[in-house]
Amino acid sequence: MAATSLKGDAQASSRTRFPNGDARPPRRRTAAAKARARAGFTFVSPAMLVMLLLVVYPLAYGIYISFFDTNLLNRWDFVGLKYYAQSISDPGFLKSLVITVVYAILVISGHLIVGVTLAVVLASDIKGNVLFRAVLILPWLFPEVVVAMIFRLIFDPVFGILNYALGSVGLIDTQVAWLDHPTWAFAAITGAAIWKGYPLVMLLALAGLQSIPRDRYEAAALDGAGRFLQFRYVSLPGLAPILGVAVILEFVWWFKHFTIVWLMTKGGPVDATNVVSIDIYRTAFQSFDFGRAASMAVIVLFICILFAVIYRKTVPDDEI
Amino acid sequence: MKSSANVGGAHPLFYVVLAGACAMVLTPVLWMVSTSLKERTELFSDPPLLWPESPSLTAFRSVFTDYPFADYITNSLVVVLTATAISLVFSTLAGYGLSRFHFSGRGAFLGFLLLSQMFPSVMLVIPYFKIMKTAGLLDSRLGLIVTYISFTIPFCTWMMYGYFRSIPRDLDEAASIDGCGPARTFITVILPLALPGMVATAVYAFITGWNEYLFALILTNSETQKTLPVGIGQLIGQYKVEWNELMAASIYSTIPLMLFFLFLQRYLISSLTAGAVKD
Repeated sequence: MAATSLKGDAQASSRTRFPNGDARPPRRRTAAAKARARAGFTFVSPAMLVMLLLVVYPLAYGIYISFFDTNLLNRWDFVGLKYYAQSISDPGFLKSLVITVVYAILVISGHLIVGVTLAVVLASDIKGNVLFRAVLILPWLFPEVVVAMIFRLIFDPVFGILNYALGSVGLIDTQVAWLDHPTWAFAAITGAAIWKGYPLVMLLALAGLQSIPRDRYEAAALDGAGRFLQFRYVSLPGLAPILGVAVILEFVWWFKHFTIVWLMTKGGPVDATNVVSIDIYRTAFQSFDFGRAASMAVIVLFICILFAVIYRKTVPDDEI
Repeated sequence: MKSSANVGGAHPLFYVVLAGACAMVLTPVLWMVSTSLKERTELFSDPPLLWPESPSLTAFRSVFTDYPFADYITNSLVVVLTATAISLVFSTLAGYGLSRFHFSGRGAFLGFLLLSQMFPSVMLVIPYFKIMKTAGLLDSRLGLIVTYISFTIPFCTWMMYGYFRSIPRDLDEAASIDGCGPARTFITVILPLALPGMVATAVYAFITGWNEYLFALILTNSETQKTLPVGIGQLIGQYKVEWNELMAASIYSTIPLMLFFLFLQRYLISSLTAGAVKD
């Protein structure tokens, strides 16, 4: 692929530029190299500046807030690590972390199962391939707010198509308020998130399957491997790198998810769907306990960074 | 995209899987469309009408007459288009710089770009609320623009960096042999070639902003400043939900994304999978 050859070129040219055979450039750089470094920095500096101002500063400020008992106006009482101690010993917060982890794991498993299955089907030579792919991508194109609304409508006790369908085949005889029932509400937000998000995994897996050389399947077939064994020993290992990256990214993504859950259940009934983003949102903007909410957010940040570190180790080095 | 390896022939069971999956996708979508075409009276029919007897566009009109959806849509367009344009300029420059030059801090910057994707938005929303309040940008489009570029610039830069790396460096070298400086090489030689990548990146920035809900919910307050997702979200806040209007509004907010995808499908999918797959 282009990237590897590019890298080769870069190495070749750096070798000619630094003929001392050292992997690193010599301490005294040539004027040309200095000029190039300056040019590079000039290109990058506007974005760097914006990120310092709009990402690094707010981030640092958020951490700063977490050490204060504050209403963000006139009350700024330094409390040190009090809120951190409170948060990690607060059963409500810990429960919301557990709910979030379970939610993320279920959603991602759903994405993997549905996404990979459909990718395998789409990668075979079925008829109407293009049409099916277009239909199956659809959920990805709906804004999260819209997905939440569609599923609110489906699960609505009076207007919902689910009650109508179940009622007409005789499975239920009353109007079930799905989103008012803890277990069903959790199942509903999970289902909505799986519906919304599987196309991304499907597209990634499809691209991955198409990059697996055909002769590997032929070799496996010669060895007598049937369809399932081919999937198990050729497709899955070929997909593993992509799916690994997808899992980490998805985990971080769904771990901090807010919109669909908030709009479908507001974290309820009681706290059955109280994911950590909603917990933080409520602590900050309904209880106005900003310092405490900030400390919870920092804890979530650390959990996400933990996954970011894993992600960095998963991405091959030549991506950087 | 290469159309090489098909993984095995089609098993009859595959069609069953596909039919099931398509039904799961299309049922909610069709229910949404059907509901949006109903009159208020038809909403309450028991059993529910699968398709309205006389489909009408009443709901599509009344979201504009009964609610400030014209404002919501204008706000969304102004905020998201501005943020997209700004991010595209910054990230194209940065992506080119990162892909072509070595300078101190480059590795750290790339690492931070990746890391910034991990920040929980709910974490940044608290400091942003305070910062915007202090700056007097609460409840304003400008405040939202600033907020949105803070999360579109990092991932746009990452995407553009990936795209520039796929453009052979020989072209830069040829241009510099012809006497072009870095700026001229970039503008006259590389930028035209990067156009497809810029289109895909811009669309992703647009989609991200267009879908954003949490920041807009917290940073805006008055009806004249709210964006489309917030407007849709609050339609359900009342006791009575006008489902036909809610679904009509939902369809409005989905149309731009559908159009983008219809026309730019190839760019979008290839840029999405470019980083993940090597072929």
